[in-house]
Amino acid sequence: MLGRGLKRKLSDYEENMAGLSSAFDSSRSLPYPLKRQLVLNMCLTKLQTYKMLVEPNLHRSVLIANTVRQIQEEMRQESNQQPVNICPGIAPSSHSYTGIESSGISLQLPSGISQQESNCCDLRSVEDPIENSLLIVSDDDMSSAISSILKDLDFVEDISPPTCLVPTGDDQPKFPENTVLKLEDDRQDSKGAECVFGSFEISNSTSYLKDLAIDDIFEDIDTSMYDSDFCCPPLMPPRSPSLATEEPLKTFPSCNSSSANNIQICRTDLSELDHIMEILVGS
Amino acid sequence: FLGAGGGNDIQWCFSQVKGAVDDDVAEADIISTVEFNHSGELLATGDKGGRVVIFQQEQENKTQSHSRGEYNVYSTFQSHEPEFDYLKSLEIEEKINKIRWLPQKNAAQFLLSTNDKTIKLWKISERDKRPEGYNLKEEDGRYRDPTTVTTLRVPVFRPMDLMVEASPRRIFANAHTYHINSISINSDYETYLSADDLRINLWHLEITDRSFNIVDIKPANMEELTEVITAAEFHPNSCSTFVYSSSKGTIRLCDMRAAALCDRHSKLFEEPEDPSNRSFFSEIISSISDVKFSHSGRYMMTRDYLSVKIWDLNMENRPVETYQVHEYLRSKLCSLYENDCIFDKFECCWNGLDRQVEFSVIVMTGSYNNFFRMFDRNSKRDVTLEASRENNKPRTVLKPRKVCASGKRKKDEISVDSLDFNKKILHTAWHPKENIIAVATTNNLYIFQDKMN
Repeated sequence: MLGRGLKRKLSDYEENMAGLSSAFDSSRSLPYPLKRQLVLNMCLTKLQTYKMLVEPNLHRSVLIANTVRQIQEEMRQESNQQPVNICPGIAPSSHSYTGIESSGISLQLPSGISQQESNCCDLRSVEDPIENSLLIVSDDDMSSAISSILKDLDFVEDISPPTCLVPTGDDQPKFPENTVLKLEDDRQDSKGAECVFGSFEISNSTSYLKDLAIDDIFEDIDTSMYDSDFCCPPLMPPRSPSLATEEPLKTFPSCNSSSANNIQICRTDLSELDHIMEILVGS
Repeated sequence: FLGAGGGNDIQWCFSQVKGAVDDDVAEADIISTVEFNHSGELLATGDKGGRVVIFQQEQENKTQSHSRGEYNVYSTFQSHEPEFDYLKSLEIEEKINKIRWLPQKNAAQFLLSTNDKTIKLWKISERDKRPEGYNLKEEDGRYRDPTTVTTLRVPVFRPMDLMVEASPRRIFANAHTYHINSISINSDYETYLSADDLRINLWHLEITDRSFNIVDIKPANMEELTEVITAAEFHPNSCSTFVYSSSKGTIRLCDMRAAALCDRHSKLFEEPEDPSNRSFFSEIISSISDVKFSHSGRYMMTRDYLSVKIWDLNMENRPVETYQVHEYLRSKLCSLYENDCIFDKFECCWNGLDRQVEFSVIVMTGSYNNFFRMFDRNSKRDVTLEASRENNKPRTVLKPRKVCASGKRKKDEISVDSLDFNKKILHTAWHPKENIIAVATTNNLYIFQDKMN
């Protein structure tokens, strides 16, 4: 997560953000896409900051999330009209915030700005330091950021529903069990940009959530079964049950649990292990 | 009928200021709510430290006809303490979000005060007599030697120095998952509502262990949440009617007789967006921070970030009047978003009613740089005044201020860029019966009166 073990100069950052926002306010020549990108960055930064708070402010989070959605929708409509996909995901480098310093400088160069505006996608080249500055993110990542924050608010806040007297009339009172059921149905149905488990999204390395190690995503899941004692490297053939009974406790060579391939193969071996256990136990 | 009405016709004079003088503001001293009681004799403030301070107006001195009674401290008590919710691992702030007075029924005064989670009913009573002349005890409490008691006497009440006691009579807890933003006492004086970000509950003042949930806008899936409740108030005359405002700039009027759960509004007040003013921040600045019914209940006033709007309850599609509080901030919205000022929740209030002014005709609200604004609905005039210790002499008429939005700054004008956005006036209150106003800066309470000739 952003900020974990990552020192950045907060005062510099704040100064630059203040400089950028007053540039937004005062400059009439700032092109619209750049203004929009600036607002989007500020929104995402705020949401990120709130995510780190124990109890984020619901009112503010909702307002900011709506602003992000509005910008997202606008960008989506524009990209539908244009053949080129605007702003695919980019990895903010660890110097992304210091990169804003460079964007602060670049704002004073009109030629640089117009180049950014028209060649939004061409700025992805690593050699150009300016492209790191504006945290260009994808639709999915924005949605997942919003979703995960709002979802976290629910989890943190509303463990017990308010006490209420059941009305004697025809109205259907809202029972907590119904809402819980509905939530699960919705999760299975939801597709597209509105990802449900934002923090569980296994993005490619160029995503906004790049700083998340894969291990952290699976923190909540008991992955002890996939640990080194049970996994095997891809090249080993599946063992026959008879061999397994002779050496049931042989330690398999350890493998990196973050490899998806290994997980697949470990699963195969796991069912074999079950089979072995059945034989041992004689059930 | 107009008489002494009019924001510009009234000449406001400095009367008093309460609070610490130094610029270093202690966090706990930040004033978070201000409210006059129904007679105007008492003025309550709540602060971030969970304390309530009540000021009492001196009885009018008939010989000193040029000024109304001063407000002096009457009672101070700790209303709410910081709490820790162990289940959710969260601190519950003790800051007093709102105070609402009950109308006086007997010698004691009652008020409701609330923080984010818990509402409390406080009884404030006076003790100015005490019994003297006990048979078995001396006056200092020591027991008398029984052998010295030779006669019996009846204890009598003798005057003592006035003691004001505050005691919590009811505690209404555990009904709000989200942060309480409003409480409003019903015109039946038996029930009241409390509103948080997503729900509104109805309470009976005598019953603390349960409440009715009358509004619930929480979606089944929190990811679909796009709107929160920002304020709620009961109609002043109709005990089954209340309104609540939202972060999207809408106001819903609900009738509790229609259904137990008021999910469907009777009326929806919403103004279509002005396309020429559209910006990235349009939705944020449309969020309503306060809603107040007029005295008659025919109108209501809402405050959003840049304006005050007056709505006729019979017209849902647009307000009847709109007053710009600080339009010069519209071109600074990005900076104000960046420093979070755009989320400041300004309140608003109506004028009081006296024999001369029988209608809600002036609105008052706060701004930055310790400025506050008044708008006269009849004359359409407005004025900007400043709460500062520089105008310290009593009966000094406040000089109107002016902000220079752009261009050449005239003498005595202040440019937008010199405004101090840390000095914000969020809470103001108007005496219900006289032209006395209470204006809260960050940690000071200013009292202004109109100039009496």
